[in-house]
Amino acid sequence: MIIDLIVFIPVIAALAIGLGAEGRKTALGAAGANLILGLIVISELMRKGGEELIFETSTVILENPKLTLGFAVDGMSGVLLLLTVIVTFCAVYVSPEKAPDGKVKLYHIAPLLISAGALGAFCSTDLFFLFAFHELALIPTFLMIGLYGHGRDKLAVAWKITIYLGVGSLILLGGLIALYSNLTSAESATFNIADLTAIAETMQLDQEVQKWIFLPLFLGFGILVSLFPFHSWAAPAYASAPTSIAMLHAGVLKKFGLYGILRVAMPMLPKGFEAWEGLILVLLLGNIIYVGFVTISQKYLDRMLGNSSVMHMGYAFLGIACVNHIGWNGAVLMMFAHGISIALLFALCGSLRERLSTLELSEIGGLASKVPFLAVSFGFAAFASIGLPGFANFASEITILFGAFNGAGEVGNLQKAAILALWGVVISAVYMLRAYRNVFQGDSAQGLTLVRRDSLNKIPIILMIVVLLLTGFFPNLILSMLPS
Amino acid sequence: MPAYYLEILILLLGFTMLGIEAFSSNRSRSGIAVLGISGLFVVLLFLIIAVPSSEVPYDYWGIYHVDKWALFYKAIAILTTLLVLVLAKDFSSAFKKYTSQSNEFSGIGEYYCLPIFVCAGLMWMASAKDLITIFVSLELVTIGFYVLVSFMRRNVGSLEAGVKYLVLGALSTGFLVYGIAWIFGVTGHFDLSGIAEALNSGEIEKKPIIFAFALLMVGLGFKVAAVPFHIWVPDVYQGTSMPITAFLSVGSKAAGFIVLLRVIEPFLNSPLTSSSVILILSFLVCVTLFFGNLVAIKQTNIKRLLAYSSIAHAGFLMMALPAMESGFHSKLIGPSPMESISFYLAGYLLMTMLCFLVITIVSSLTDGENIDDLRGLGARSPLLAFAMLVGVASLAGIPLTVGFFGKFLLFNIAIQYAVFSGSWYIVAFAVLGASAGFYYYFKIIRAMYCGGAEQDGDQLALTISTLSRVVIIVLLAGVILCGVFPKLILGFL
Amino acid sequence: MLDQYLPVLMQLSVATGFAVSTLLISVLLGKSAKSNAIKDSAYECGMLPIGDDKPRFSVKFYVIAMLFVIFDIEVVFMYPWAVTFKNFLANGQAAMVFWSMSGFVGILLVAYLYALKKGALSWKS
Repeated sequence: MIIDLIVFIPVIAALAIGLGAEGRKTALGAAGANLILGLIVISELMRKGGEELIFETSTVILENPKLTLGFAVDGMSGVLLLLTVIVTFCAVYVSPEKAPDGKVKLYHIAPLLISAGALGAFCSTDLFFLFAFHELALIPTFLMIGLYGHGRDKLAVAWKITIYLGVGSLILLGGLIALYSNLTSAESATFNIADLTAIAETMQLDQEVQKWIFLPLFLGFGILVSLFPFHSWAAPAYASAPTSIAMLHAGVLKKFGLYGILRVAMPMLPKGFEAWEGLILVLLLGNIIYVGFVTISQKYLDRMLGNSSVMHMGYAFLGIACVNHIGWNGAVLMMFAHGISIALLFALCGSLRERLSTLELSEIGGLASKVPFLAVSFGFAAFASIGLPGFANFASEITILFGAFNGAGEVGNLQKAAILALWGVVISAVYMLRAYRNVFQGDSAQGLTLVRRDSLNKIPIILMIVVLLLTGFFPNLILSMLPS
Repeated sequence: MPAYYLEILILLLGFTMLGIEAFSSNRSRSGIAVLGISGLFVVLLFLIIAVPSSEVPYDYWGIYHVDKWALFYKAIAILTTLLVLVLAKDFSSAFKKYTSQSNEFSGIGEYYCLPIFVCAGLMWMASAKDLITIFVSLELVTIGFYVLVSFMRRNVGSLEAGVKYLVLGALSTGFLVYGIAWIFGVTGHFDLSGIAEALNSGEIEKKPIIFAFALLMVGLGFKVAAVPFHIWVPDVYQGTSMPITAFLSVGSKAAGFIVLLRVIEPFLNSPLTSSSVILILSFLVCVTLFFGNLVAIKQTNIKRLLAYSSIAHAGFLMMALPAMESGFHSKLIGPSPMESISFYLAGYLLMTMLCFLVITIVSSLTDGENIDDLRGLGARSPLLAFAMLVGVASLAGIPLTVGFFGKFLLFNIAIQYAVFSGSWYIVAFAVLGASAGFYYYFKIIRAMYCGGAEQDGDQLALTISTLSRVVIIVLLAGVILCGVFPKLILGFL
Repeated sequence: MLDQYLPVLMQLSVATGFAVSTLLISVLLGKSAKSNAIKDSAYECGMLPIGDDKPRFSVKFYVIAMLFVIFDIEVVFMYPWAVTFKNFLANGQAAMVFWSMSGFVGILLVAYLYALKKGALSWKS
């Protein structure tokens, strides 16, 4: 029941705003309520250990195949639920009262709908709704980028993300249908994830079948996570999107693909993964190394952040590719840590955008003395993103590496990939520190205008930093909820 | 109450309206529309309440067949006509400009009456299991449409559409009749069960029966707007008045599909013809998906866009047809092709009517039918814009709308059938088409919300009649609720 | 194997053959005479061909002609009904056979009344 509430509170709030309720206050109220409810869920999960599903609800909406509109959380869902409610709260908090064109409704409805979609997808017990809820975000994202995006090519960017995600989800839908129809028979057709996993474990589909079902699933989910070489939608979209949308999309929604792979593809099709392991390792290295270099070459802060978010997805894929619980737990922790840190970075980037006439790295500089709070928090965020010890990102990366070398008698492909991936840390240190130096240190560039629009929203930024540090020093807060 | 009373009631309703049109001295004709709407509503209630939805299908004299499918499609026909009359009532202000100059109300009465007779034809089509009945009811529908399409007498576009529809319609009728003649010649039967027996008897040759089937497919392909028999669709949809466009795209298609489903079933299940029929169907599906979706991308006129979208939807619907093959049927998980197609058509009714209702209201005030004319609708009328948003999202197949669930069911069948028979190319075309759909449907969304409305932002205020407002809200709720709880529709099947 | 459809083929070939040969003959024979402007002009008993080439008929003619055809067909349909009438009576289906024809005539009656009231049969105005 509590999960149903968490999923539907944003929808109800969005409806209320649509019918005339005050925009920002309603949204903030809903996000705050969700944050509190989310913490209640997490405390319950910590108490129970996160092995089995709790707070399960279900409404049967179709008998054949069995479709249920139902929600429940286990450890992994819980972590992502927590991520979603935190980021939603912060995203709504940093949104200004009114959109640039003075309108209110859509500007506050869109983040709520995206949040509802993500929550629904993470907590659904049913494969069908896992998919369906995720696509709820498609139209709000399209409209928000198209309407309130930055840059001249915002419409092109809006099309790009829509088409990419649309195609990705269609391929995914194909894979999901192939999966369930191979696992079940006409009498016992079901979409329940737990049932399907159990069936898959006992039944063990043929290697060949698994191979060809795994491919569309991995591709579909991969496109949604901006897997190399299908990543080119992500950076422009995040650079162009309004702050709240960039935070939600990069921080939360993108994790859906990883969640899907961990929840559906890996447990149900282990042999399918084996068949494609080599290709996947190459692609994830593409994410880390190739996109890493692309990130270094970026000239604008927002584009750089967008690319860095694509790059870090490679580590999550590496964690998944470990095929053991250490690696997977690391990947989940990575999703959480990266979600918070990238949302924090985009929030700060949004604040900078409000105050500056340009985000071109060579044009700005010396801001540390003018906006010290921003400088300090950006420093924290950059360190977190690089993976400095003390932040959750470090904990997750180290866990993933442990996972990669766990029980390895010799250096196989996975271990080689992990060694190469380590260099990604250096790459991210290069671009993050360079960006920090360019923006906050050095001389104040000529002709730079610092327009101070409104006072800074410190609360969400501090909240996110605290969460990052807390989970960085005590990663067991998260890891204890995950299977070991 | 036996089911065949329904058509008689509909006819009586039509005659009453015609009589009022002829004998009433009241100049305003909106009373006729209201009578028609309420009459259809009453018949719909009769259909739901009074007609026993018997488990055992039965025949009347071998020409009138009643089963749950027939009743379902009858309900679709009635509901479509009802909504078309609502549209027509809203459209009447724009309509007056194109009829006789001397009397501005001249002809509007007939405009309300003719859909009723077409509706009767659609309902008979739903019950037809005999090639003669199919032909006669199909002609009743088509002739009604000939008049309706060219109804705006002073509008050149409408007349052009009328001529095109007449010529191509007559051509397709010719193919249909010729096909029926061949089938009768080869099998000696008009009724489909007799044809099925003859096909399985092993006494007939393959070539002539395939030839006959191909001729039938030309005639029926015309009805459901399948490529390459779609050439009439864009021009006719664009030229004719908005309510009739809606009627064509929903009513004509739904009835065409129930006939198609009934006709191809014996051919698919006979070992003699099955492989060739599947080949023909697969070809039609692929080209329909391909052309319908890709040509839609370029359209700027919203009616043409919806015309191509209607073609594209025919492609998605036909995707499930090859899967009716008997060898596959027992292996299928989930709703059968028949159920899926029916669900999709019911959903298509809801979402298309929603879109057309919005466009009718907008265009009857501004006269514009381009996508650009929707610009700034988000600011001018949030209700209409939201209704259009939901309608278009549903057409594109965004989850939690009825359109998505329909697509899901059809993909479910197509993918399982591809696993069964290896016809992955159909799935590939469908994915390609659906992705193109994201583009052209989102163009409408972009126009409504992202289009700069500053220059003509102070256009005429949009007035929505109470009836339309109620209907819009009902349809909106229907699109979303049936998308989340598909049993609201599937429960009838 | 398609030989029982031979008559169809024959009919097809006769139909096309007739059209083709007519056109062909007219071209072959017509070529022999030279044409000039005077020869091509219409000859109307010495009157100069001025004005519309097609005389305009009032639309009433068409309406009446169409109505005539419709009601003519109605009568045609009554013949088979009348022929089988006795068989149905013998089978005790009098009511069905009566009401089906009444329905048919009734539909046309309504149509007739409508046409009458709409002024399709009045020559004035």
